[in-house]
Amino acid sequence: MSAPHTLYRPPHRRPSVLATLCVAVAGVLFFYPFLWMFLSAFKDNREIFKPLQLLPRAFDPQYYRQLFNGEWIPFFQVFTNSLVVAVLQSAGVVVVTSMAGYAFARNRFAGRGLLFILALVVIMMPQQALAIALFSWLNTLGLVNQLAGVILPGLVSGLGLLYFTQVFRQVPDDLVNAARLAGASEFRVYLTLLPLVSSALLSFGLIQFILAWHEHLIPLLVLSSAEKQTLPIALAGLYGSSLRFPYAVLMAASSLILLPTVVLFALLYRRFQSALSELLAH
Amino acid sequence: MSSARANRQPYLLLLPFFALLAAFWLVPLLGGLRMSLYSNDLTGPGEYVGLANYRALLDDARFFKALRNTLAYTALSLVTILPLALLLAQALRMTFTRLRPPLTFLLLLPGLTPPAVLALLFLLVFHGREGLLNQLLVEPFGFKTINWLRDPDFILPALVLQGVWRWTGFITFFFLAGMAAIPKTLFEAAQLETNSRWRVFWSVTLPQLRPVLLFSAVYLVVDGFATFSGAYVLLGGSGGTADAGLLLVSYSYQQTFTFGQFGTAAAMSVSVAPLMLGMLVLCFAARWRRTH
Repeated sequence: MSAPHTLYRPPHRRPSVLATLCVAVAGVLFFYPFLWMFLSAFKDNREIFKPLQLLPRAFDPQYYRQLFNGEWIPFFQVFTNSLVVAVLQSAGVVVVTSMAGYAFARNRFAGRGLLFILALVVIMMPQQALAIALFSWLNTLGLVNQLAGVILPGLVSGLGLLYFTQVFRQVPDDLVNAARLAGASEFRVYLTLLPLVSSALLSFGLIQFILAWHEHLIPLLVLSSAEKQTLPIALAGLYGSSLRFPYAVLMAASSLILLPTVVLFALLYRRFQSALSELLAH
Repeated sequence: MSSARANRQPYLLLLPFFALLAAFWLVPLLGGLRMSLYSNDLTGPGEYVGLANYRALLDDARFFKALRNTLAYTALSLVTILPLALLLAQALRMTFTRLRPPLTFLLLLPGLTPPAVLALLFLLVFHGREGLLNQLLVEPFGFKTINWLRDPDFILPALVLQGVWRWTGFITFFFLAGMAAIPKTLFEAAQLETNSRWRVFWSVTLPQLRPVLLFSAVYLVVDGFATFSGAYVLLGGSGGTADAGLLLVSYSYQQTFTFGQFGTAAAMSVSVAPLMLGMLVLCFAARWRRTH
């Protein structure tokens, strides 16, 4: 039995040129608008509305200069706002949901099932559905036009709870028991386990960073003044703001808005994929 | 001995989560319920009107239009993205190892881009006759140019297309991770029986991917109901021609901030919640039946 097994070359192992072509075509289709966007940051308005013309006449960085000069939006201020929101929100979500996930995965206590279901119901209600009521509540709290008004409501994630409950369930029992026998409090045990699940923490943090970086509705409702806005809101506001507005500035800003998520994703790509596969393998 | 200790400590770990849940989900939810029972007064606290806002909603053709559009958007996204991502993930598995990360990355790039920016790119991509889509894919094949954002037959497909562009890469990534998690022995066993890639995919890969498929479906349903940014930017906050692109979130935004109808908007959110819950319970129930 072992001889045919070792001799057998599964056809799947040979890379397929056809499959590669298929993905490459999809990749080019997905990527072309971005290539066009990067290059359009150097075009005037007449050139921009010809999507088939890829290259600009000249690579003059004047539109980047206009963006940085703050002629259209307080770019650096808005970029910083976005960064503050995304960093604090993603870090906060990871701390809050991983603690709760540990408690659900590793402890028995009264009301456990009920609380878990309550949390699950939260996932099913997208915050956007509650947005109007949330806005008026934030108004009561005095959090309107404050970055905290965007960050705080984003700190709870039902998905995060599910994820970390599963992650902590997969930690070997021996490690948890050893820490408990040493007399550590549950909080201490949780802290000791953190390095073990670092990939999971980083992966979920990455997802939350991306979601916070992209969020449109809540910041649009909460942040009214130009200095408090986040990048997507400022950009959407620019579009069609005036007839002589150069779209290249929009393209320049849109190219830069990609940087943080792309860099983070590229750095964490491997860890993210292996953390996900490990979670799914059980 | 440790039971007393273990009894109190978990609650402390849960405290931040449930405190924030109460402060920023339960209170707005109850506030929304209350708001839906009061008149639409912008100037001050309105008066109690009972279920009048809900009755008004039942007579509101635009609400049903928005509901239909949202359901259609969600369903169309699901049936496009899931098979496409499955296909791409399988193709990526079959490609040269060295090419896999860069190709995956190309597919993921739209997912890393804020939807507001995707929508701006789309505005230019779909822009009338000179638009990329018309020039590149419609006219060369001899079709008449499509006015994607004006023609009511094409507004919703344009929104779906944008959703597909945004999410396919991420879902492909999830599927890839799920495929990597399938025990090799299962493939080896299947390959002893058949030489057909298609049959191995059908009998091993697909059933093993069920949890990831479920997760992706749930994610896309939730996202479909919450979709706002794309439609808002593409259609300038309106519903588009003949409301063909009016979605629930954009309609309630419009009701609140254009017409000042707080009560109606709140009634709308409250009515949609059970519907969504029902759909997701269905998703989970399908999984539950299979595993138990």
